[in-house]
Amino acid sequence: MFSRRVTILAVALLASAAAAGPSTPLGTGPPTSVGAGPSTLLGTGPSTLLGTGRQTPGAKRPASSAIKIPFETYTLPNGLTVILSPDHTTPTVAVDVWYHVGSKNELPGRTGFAHLFEHVMFTGSGHVPYGIHDKLTEGVGGNNNGTTSNDRTTYYETIPSNYLESALWLEADRMGFLLDTLDLAKLNAQRDIVKNERRQGVDNQPYGRAGEILSHATYPASHPYSWDVIGSMEDLSAASDEDVKNFFRLYYAPNNAYLTVVGDFDLTQARGWISKYFGDIPRGQPITRPAVAPVTLDAEARLVYEDRVQVPRLYIQWPTVGERNDDQFALDVMGAILSGPRTARLTKALVYDQQSAANLFARQSSNEDVGEFLMAITPRPGHSLTDLEAAADAVIDKFKDEGPTQDEIQKATAGLELGYVSGLQSNLGKAFRLADGAGFHGTPGYFQTEYQKSLAVTPADVKRVANKFLTRGRVVLSIVPIGKADQASKPDQSKKVGAQGFSPAVAARGFSPAITPQETQR
Amino acid sequence: MTRTLLSIVALSLTLAGQQTLDRSKIPPPGKLPVLRVPTWTKTTIDNGADLIVSEKHDLPLVSFTITIVGGADQFESAGKRGVASVTASMLNEGTRTRDGEALSNALQLLGTSISVSVGSETGSIGFVSTTGKFPQTLDILADMLVNPTFPADALERLRGQRLVALEQAKAQPNAIAGRVYPRVLYGASHPFGQPITETTVKAITRDDVVAFHKAFFQPGRAVVTVVGDVSAAAVKTTIEHALAAWPKGGEKPAFTYPSLPPPSSMTIYLVDKPGAAQSTFAIGNPGPPRNTPDYYSLQVMNTILGGMFQSRLNANIREEKGYSYGVNSGFAYGKGPGAFRAGGDIVSAKSDAALVEFMKELRGIGGSRPVTDDELSMAKDSLIQRLPAQFASVQGINGAITTLWTQTLPGDYYQQYGAKIGAVTKEDVVRVAKQYIDLDHLAIVIVGDRASIEAPLKATGIAPIVVTDIEGNRSGS
Repeated sequence: MFSRRVTILAVALLASAAAAGPSTPLGTGPPTSVGAGPSTLLGTGPSTLLGTGRQTPGAKRPASSAIKIPFETYTLPNGLTVILSPDHTTPTVAVDVWYHVGSKNELPGRTGFAHLFEHVMFTGSGHVPYGIHDKLTEGVGGNNNGTTSNDRTTYYETIPSNYLESALWLEADRMGFLLDTLDLAKLNAQRDIVKNERRQGVDNQPYGRAGEILSHATYPASHPYSWDVIGSMEDLSAASDEDVKNFFRLYYAPNNAYLTVVGDFDLTQARGWISKYFGDIPRGQPITRPAVAPVTLDAEARLVYEDRVQVPRLYIQWPTVGERNDDQFALDVMGAILSGPRTARLTKALVYDQQSAANLFARQSSNEDVGEFLMAITPRPGHSLTDLEAAADAVIDKFKDEGPTQDEIQKATAGLELGYVSGLQSNLGKAFRLADGAGFHGTPGYFQTEYQKSLAVTPADVKRVANKFLTRGRVVLSIVPIGKADQASKPDQSKKVGAQGFSPAVAARGFSPAITPQETQR
Repeated sequence: MTRTLLSIVALSLTLAGQQTLDRSKIPPPGKLPVLRVPTWTKTTIDNGADLIVSEKHDLPLVSFTITIVGGADQFESAGKRGVASVTASMLNEGTRTRDGEALSNALQLLGTSISVSVGSETGSIGFVSTTGKFPQTLDILADMLVNPTFPADALERLRGQRLVALEQAKAQPNAIAGRVYPRVLYGASHPFGQPITETTVKAITRDDVVAFHKAFFQPGRAVVTVVGDVSAAAVKTTIEHALAAWPKGGEKPAFTYPSLPPPSSMTIYLVDKPGAAQSTFAIGNPGPPRNTPDYYSLQVMNTILGGMFQSRLNANIREEKGYSYGVNSGFAYGKGPGAFRAGGDIVSAKSDAALVEFMKELRGIGGSRPVTDDELSMAKDSLIQRLPAQFASVQGINGAITTLWTQTLPGDYYQQYGAKIGAVTKEDVVRVAKQYIDLDHLAIVIVGDRASIEAPLKATGIAPIVVTDIEGNRSGS
């Protein structure tokens, strides 16, 4: 996730506390065991998680009745979708404005623009001088941020409940009047910050470029998911204030937006304020959304990238399906059966029984139109990436052959209930869930469907998706220390990826910047 | 799903349309919500551990923790750094009646996980579960705590994993800064300056783990905190039953630390990371413990300096200059000496310019740039009014209450917090800035590309440069 701020927001909704077993995010080391002991005073000590991946009650048990978010929804005449969900447990409110635009809507030569634009949204608007936004959120005990993904850009405030009206005023002003105060200086300032965001999150992080290299190799050069949300330095340099204006006029209109308010507020009062501040913002042009099909790869692409790392790591990515395809649920369950707890198939075989891997993960990520199943394995000394690839393939081949047991399905889904219920404690988490449902699936209540469909996954479903997607049509990427290309898996068959990103010329041959389902924060 | 009648919307629109909306006027806030601090009961269970229960019944959730006062810095020896965290992991590896896989399977089927951690001055074991799964999860936790078997082969596996993680961290700029900074602040003879290394991880034996477990996890220094959908009376019985085999013993450790080395004059400790796109900065000095009477003034001061997005450091170095994606500052507090740290990741070519700005702001908060009314009131509002958000979840309430116990804070701490913060004056801000940010003796750790940044940093004339390795050892120039 790329966003305005450095702060990583811990929104515990679905993939939350209970749901995530030990997993290794792209580009960082494993969460356990780095920097224990004395560093605790200056940070937090490592916590040792025992347990599980995503989970649910057994197939025969009913879905938990506690998992509900009461809401009302309506559409203003200008096309703005409004979702209201009062919850008076805590005297705070979350406001979220969700625009259906992300990096996949960017034009060639302008990768990273949707996220750069997100930053511009915090520089003030017609009636809101720069700085007031932070003052009326963080300055009163709340918070704010924005995040950009491939598919959507979302802006939010959490505030004490007595500041709801000013939060709505802030959001309405930048939806209606951003361009009144826009100038090139503002854009340039944010451009520098975003370039630093890329340096911090990608270029200066061990394994930090894995995501963009994988996406680039997974999708054809012209495919809207083939470049990364953060974009390339060259394209960030090229963005103009004219680009900002055009992008704003098309995508930041109320008919492309979803306003969600969750928390301690009065419905009637909120409806009045929303009409007052958003009602007269004019509707924009209709937006055509080109159909984006998932891809398949005809053959295995083998790559090696030399990075400033101490330990090599193997990544294997298979193109799968996204949010619009119900196979995503079986793919999610498959990830939890293959990795996470010590009994998961890959984890048990490589980390525990053979002890050839220090850590690994395997999981599905779903974007709106496409998805990927990604596996990453860090070796222990004395074990080559070539051997690890073979060992992982042996586990996967056996799994494809026999499929999971009912017990494995049960374990993989038993924690879903806790993940969902725990997520209900966060106003902001609920707002995101409602907005995603409305924006991607046409109903704020989609999380209920998602929960039910996750519970309904059968062994046969998982076996089918394993055989359908875990094929030789995949990308195998070895990230190795500089000068150690021979540490790649099957180095003779692996093609080197250059250090300087993907130039347009390279892109034409089928390589262009891309990160997977990552997002960027403000 | 309910749908509002269109007529209601139309009506509101009409009403709004009748007045001219002046968007340049900031809507005033409504009445400040009354602070509702969760209530709890405090008793003692049979084996001597304290028990705190806070009921919250809106969702079927329970947060359960056992928190131990004391941590790695009280219970580890210098040559065995890491035994605390290894022991925490080893609790997952099996009990007398369940091996590691059986524990994992049981927890997966309960849909939860038990986390164990031992930090510098506290340790904990706990979980969040649904109400229905609470008693069974608690039984497993008790089994892990009381009956671990610590299989020798599991120790070797964990050791191997940890050695890989330590190796990986050598390439991670923030991990490097996180090791070097405490080392230069506290020195190699202070526990805070003694990190886990390959050598110490290799030295840990199974006997060390067994001994650490026995010495550390004792109820006499523990508090059991339960927050959520339970009844205080009933849950006490449940817990006493579950923890019946946890024998009495233990007391809170004394937090005695060696005295800190005399502070060096201001020095730049440069750790070379060839080719790095950014320089990672950590600037500061040792700080006061949590029980300092200046705590509230320090909170306000730091909020103005580097605790918020629009704080001086971030407003200048990120927003105005564009040198970084974000910089900040903060105080770490505990029983022993704390730490003040300002820093962030800076684009390599602006390392020198950013250092000049960091120094300017650190001098500024100490008096050369007066605190404005606006800064003071915003910092206070931000600190005071963020309190309710801490009480939104069972986990949040658990943390908020348990902290009072581990840090020996009064029971009405949260009720008094607003008044204490509110009483801080501009003079207090400047006084604590001067007292706790020692401009003559700052340690400036910079992890970056030496070839391109050393000369410019030197040219600033701010401080002499000492080049160190990634453990903070002087490696000459």
